[in-house]
Amino acid sequence: MSPDDKWRHREAGPVVRPYAVTGGRTAPDGGDVLDLLAVIVATGQPASAEDAARLTPEHRKLLSLCRRQITLADLAADIALPLGVVRVLLADLTQLGAVTVVRQRPPDQRTGTDVLQEILNGLRAL
Amino acid sequence: MASARSDIASSASTASPSAASPSFIAHKILIAGGFGSGKTTLVGAISEVRPLRTEETLTTASIGLDDLTGIDGKTTTTVALDFGRITLGTQIVLYLFGMPGQERFSFMWDELSYGALGAVILADVRRLDDCFPSVNYFETLRLPFVVAVNCFDDSPLYEPEEVRMALDLDADTPLVLCDARDVGSVKQVLITLVETIAGRRSAAASQARLAASAGRS
Repeated sequence: MSPDDKWRHREAGPVVRPYAVTGGRTAPDGGDVLDLLAVIVATGQPASAEDAARLTPEHRKLLSLCRRQITLADLAADIALPLGVVRVLLADLTQLGAVTVVRQRPPDQRTGTDVLQEILNGLRAL
Repeated sequence: MASARSDIASSASTASPSAASPSFIAHKILIAGGFGSGKTTLVGAISEVRPLRTEETLTTASIGLDDLTGIDGKTTTTVALDFGRITLGTQIVLYLFGMPGQERFSFMWDELSYGALGAVILADVRRLDDCFPSVNYFETLRLPFVVAVNCFDDSPLYEPEEVRMALDLDADTPLVLCDARDVGSVKQVLITLVETIAGRRSAAASQARLAASAGRS
């Protein structure tokens, strides 16, 4: 590290490198890469004392945000961490059984004619 | 359709009750356009904009664009995306995702467009060529889109038909004029898009019916 690195500009972003909060892991452990609009929810199952001790503050914050169903995009924006980091942390919580991904129809089957009409009505009423 | 239903049914038995069914259905619309075309303004006119940070692997595409002097070890770069959400009725949430239209961001287009209903391409007539990559991408993907010409105060005036020709748009791709700052104008752009999507769907459905009846006779 050169001496100049100590003087970071305020806009340079967080001092902690993004993937430091994941212990350097850049890919989720097991499981698929979650879509931006994947909906996640806490299961409400209490973690074992041993598991709870391993949770970082970021894990806990995510867990509390998941008390209501919430999309990955909203989670990442709420917790102000990069998407990739949130994916890794969520995979940890999923493996502990603390959160689960809400099953949805695939996007191409989510919007029949009736849904499109509902979106149109909703937009017109804005 | 039947398989999707059974997916939901089977998950209900294994997951907790709160996870059994989604409490809302999320739909995605992309707002694409070049740098400074007004994407964030448009999303902000109709919803609360929130930044979404992504850490992307640096590709050779960004060499010469991102200044890497002295940080040779850096392999990722931060890309900030804007998105907004609009709640429609009790169940539907529409997400608008800003999609950086510059070619050097093309590595993230596939992820952004996954599952999207359609897209709005914001065009700035002073820099119309900024739209070309997005137009090409959505045409290849066969994703329905509308081109919305953002009328900046100092924009030169062109007839919509001139812009349409310059972009070489298909006849069934709408081109509308808009003011990205104005909620009513943005609303109209989104309505035009959803009407286009509905039109494509019903055209495809009637074609499928024709093909099926031809197969039977």
